[in-house]
This record gives sequence, structure tokens and C-alpha cells, in this order.
Amino acid sequence: MALENLKGRAAFIFEEIDFDIDQIVGVKNIKIQDVDELAAVAMRRYDPNFHESVRPGDLLIGNQNFGYGHPHYPPMIAMRHLGIAGVIAESFSPGYWRGEIAMGFPQISCPGILRAVDRWDHLEVDWESGQVKNLDKNTLLEFEPLADADREMLDAGGLIGYLHNR
Amino acid sequence: MGLTITEKILGRAADMDVVKAGDEILAKPDFVIAYDFPGYTDVIFRQMEEEFGISKVAEPERFALFIDHMVPAVTPKEEDLHRNTREWGKKNNVPVYERRGIGHHVASELGYATPGAFAVHFDGHVSQMGTFGTLAIGVRRHLLEAFVKERIKIRVPKTTRVNLHGKLPKGVMARDAFHHIVRTLGPAACRFQVLEIGGDALQGISIDGRQTINCLAMFTGAVTAIMNPDETTLKYATERARIDLEPVYSDENAVYSAVHDIDISSLEPVVVVPPRPSNTQNLSEYTDKEVHVGYLGSCASGRIEDLEIAAEVLRGQTIKAGFQLHVVPTSQAIMQEASEKGILTDLIAAGAFVTSSSCDYCFGRAGVMTAGQRAVSTGTLNVRGRMGSPDSEIYIMNAAAVAASAIHGKITDPRDYL
Repeated sequence: MALENLKGRAAFIFEEIDFDIDQIVGVKNIKIQDVDELAAVAMRRYDPNFHESVRPGDLLIGNQNFGYGHPHYPPMIAMRHLGIAGVIAESFSPGYWRGEIAMGFPQISCPGILRAVDRWDHLEVDWESGQVKNLDKNTLLEFEPLADADREMLDAGGLIGYLHNR
Repeated sequence: MGLTITEKILGRAADMDVVKAGDEILAKPDFVIAYDFPGYTDVIFRQMEEEFGISKVAEPERFALFIDHMVPAVTPKEEDLHRNTREWGKKNNVPVYERRGIGHHVASELGYATPGAFAVHFDGHVSQMGTFGTLAIGVRRHLLEAFVKERIKIRVPKTTRVNLHGKLPKGVMARDAFHHIVRTLGPAACRFQVLEIGGDALQGISIDGRQTINCLAMFTGAVTAIMNPDETTLKYATERARIDLEPVYSDENAVYSAVHDIDISSLEPVVVVPPRPSNTQNLSEYTDKEVHVGYLGSCASGRIEDLEIAAEVLRGQTIKAGFQLHVVPTSQAIMQEASEKGILTDLIAAGAFVTSSSCDYCFGRAGVMTAGQRAVSTGTLNVRGRMGSPDSEIYIMNAAAVAASAIHGKITDPRDYL
């Protein structure tokens, strides 16, 4: 098991159902290719101070069907650049899920997460036990097990590593 | 218990007697399909060589490439991409179908939608091929796997079955039926599943209409859609089929995660209100909203049935001065047929701007809007910025409604014109 447990704070909670991730950078910025520039515009409409508060390893929390619509890669490229280590959501839209898992970016489908977490709570994603631990509230929630291919892809850091291993 | 058509197709593709939803299998796609697009094909071609040392794909007859976006090119960089694709195709013995229309639709015209076949693409709208009993899944960047390995690892999806009943009333189209399915089931009902559509209503829905419905499956959360072949689709697909396969069908006692029965007999024309592809409302609640641009085309709509009904609405009418109606047939074959039938003449006479087939009007590369403008559209999607400025809006509706709205520059119920 190469994958290390994720440990970080809930850096933001997207409460919107069917959240369109393109909104993170804004549609007008979706074609920006420079990652610094992209990161600079990310999250501004949600929290202007996000960049100052976020720390490497922090996590995002999402509601049901997170990533619905026509998701592009730049928003999460920006979020990873800002240190975000994964997304925990009530459930995911499959196109988004596939795209981000291929990037080696952990996505954790965890029904009940929205009510179990307040912003900035300290969380741990324990791959072995299949649980999300809220270290501040001392609570546990089980997440849905990953498909073998998805797990192997995260282990390998993304699609390329996974295909080399296969 | 019985099996779904999806389980049967994937079982064969995995060389296994029986596979069931939830099983993780190694399946060999019969067809690997893609259009050239920056970040996808160019990257795949490069990674194949640089990361995996593969200079040519095995079994090139399984592969098909299309040039349908950025057609015609407007920058040298775009033409570079196309040239690279042509050269790669030549080197790999893989056909590159260029300027023949929207790729996955042309793939159906060319027989890649073989009943019983398993196909992959990076684009999810390839679900359109499900019309012919082909299981066609959009896998985004995982498509690389199909270029460098014979088999791709896939979890057999569960299936939600939707039975459509009744007959579409006049002026109400398959497009409306699809968005009504989303309204009824919700945008997440089929997450990670296959949407299997059947029911007596299909007898009254043409191949064009069925392609519309299947093409849009992703907006229910589904990974694809499929219909069991019937006489109509077998007739079309069998004579074109590129490989020799027995069509397969869901068993009567197949296991579905849910079955929904939806009556379409009393359906009204609908509008999908921006900026969400799931926001289906009755069009009658939005009539008189001022609109400036019309788009009649895309892989979802833009087939003969769509062009024909638009011509019926616009025959003898004149599009409102200043209103821009772009008509873009889904393929060149459709355009030719529409031309031979006089449909294009009617559309042009009314003031429509008719162009050769291209994906470019759908994703904001051609015919773009500026801030404050509003479109009526048969395109695939109505999210912010999809057709230009993030401060423009897209109201999705059926082809007849787009045509009727073009007459007045206002959202208009098409039923008064049919």
C-alpha cells in the first residue's frame, strides 16, 4: 500500500449539490494555462483569503454529485498547486471522478461527510480502515471502497504510473 | 437471474462467460475512437511513444480518428494539431475522417456502432452510439489505456432502466423527452451507471431522436446510455457494421438498480434554463424572453428530423432582423440529404446562416456571444461561457422551438407554427 493517509484540515466546504467545479476559477479563466496565474484567481469568489489560510495537505469537502456539468482540469490543477491533497464528498459525478483519479488526485466518496465536518476541522483519511476521521470531533465515517483500478491509479500517482505497473 | 445488454457486451469483451455489475474486468474495446483535441490526442500520441515506447498501435483497424473540432482551423497552431493527427494516422494505418461531421455521429454512419460492440472515446457524448445497441463509454484521459494496452480495466456498471411510454405530441421532440427524463429522475439518478432506455414509445421515435436521447446520457450522471436493438436500428446498423457480431439484448429478468416508467404523451416543449444542464422547465413559462442568437446543430440535435421541422416552422417566414440563426448539420451526409430535400433552401430563404458540419458552434469557438446576449440552442450544454462570454446565457430547447424563436427574437412555442 503505497498510498499514505491524508491528513489535513477541511479548507473549504462546497455545500452546493451538483457543484460545477469550473466555478472555482471562474469560466472566464478556464483557459489560463500558467498554473500560478490559475491559482491566483482560484477561490476568490468563495473566500478572498483562501490563499493565505490554506496549507499543504488540506482537503476540500463537497456535497452530492460533486463535479457535475462539464468539468475541466484547470480548477483542480490550481487547487493542487495551492496544496489541496484531496476531495471528500457525499458523492461524485463520474466524469469528474475519472478525470481526477487519472491525475492521481484522491477523491473520497463519503456519504454523511457534510454534516460531520465544520470548516477547518482536522481530518484524516485512513485508507486501510476505509474511514474518514474527524480528529477535532473525535468521530468516524466510513467511505465507499475504491475500485481496484482507482486504488492502483492513486497508488501509482496517476494514470501513467498505473499503466506502467499493469 | 438474467443479464443486461451491458453485462453481455462486457462479458464478451472480457472473454468471460458471465460478468455482473460490480465486477472489475479487463475488457478489450472493439473500437477506440477519438477526435483530435489539444491535451487529448496530441498528448496520447506523445505519451505512447515517450512513456511506453510504442511507436504504432496494435490492431489499427480497431482505431478511428476524427477531425471535427477546430474545423476549419483559424490559427496555424490549430492546423498544426490537425496535421499531426493526419501524420499519426498515416504512420499507424489508422483512418482519419476529416470534415465529414461530428466524429461519433459519423462513426455511427460508418458502422463503428456495430450492435453488440464495445467502444471507448474520451468524450462522453459517444453514448449516442448506444442507439444501435453498442456500449460506448467516454473515459476522458483514461483513453490512453486503450492506446497502450489491449485491454482496459473497467468495473461493470449497474444499469437503470427507463421505459418511455406513449407518443410525443406535435411539436414535442425526443430532445424534450430526454430533458424530461432528467427532470423526473434528477441529475444524479444514474451516477456511474448505464441508462438503458426502452418502452413502447421508442417505436414512435426515429433513429435521429434516439441518437439525441442517448447522446445526452451524461446529464443523468450515467456513464453511457444504450437501447436494445430493434428492427429499425438493426436495419441501419447491420448493413454498415464493421465487425461480425451477434446483437445482444437484455434478458427479461435482467437485474436493474432501478426501473422507471415515464409517459411522454402529455409532455410539452421544454427549455433547459441556464446555467445548469439539469434545470428542465416547461417552455411555456419562458415565452417572450428576448434572445439574440440561435444554434441549430450539435451531436445532440442537428439531424434530418431537426432540420426538417425547423424548415417547416420557417417556411415562408423571415428571421427577425439582427437575430443570428446558425444552422450546422451534424454531418456532411445529413447536410447533403437536407440539401437534396430542399430543407436547406427553406432555411436559407428564411435568413438562416447554414454552414458545413463542425463542433465549433457548440463550445464557443464559432458564432460566440458577447456579454448580455442570450441564445436559444440545440447544443449539448448551457453552462456559463459555453458559447462565448461567461455573461451570456444559453436556453436549450428542441429544434422547432429554436426555429420559432428565431422569427421573433423571443422564446417562442413552436406548436403554433406546425
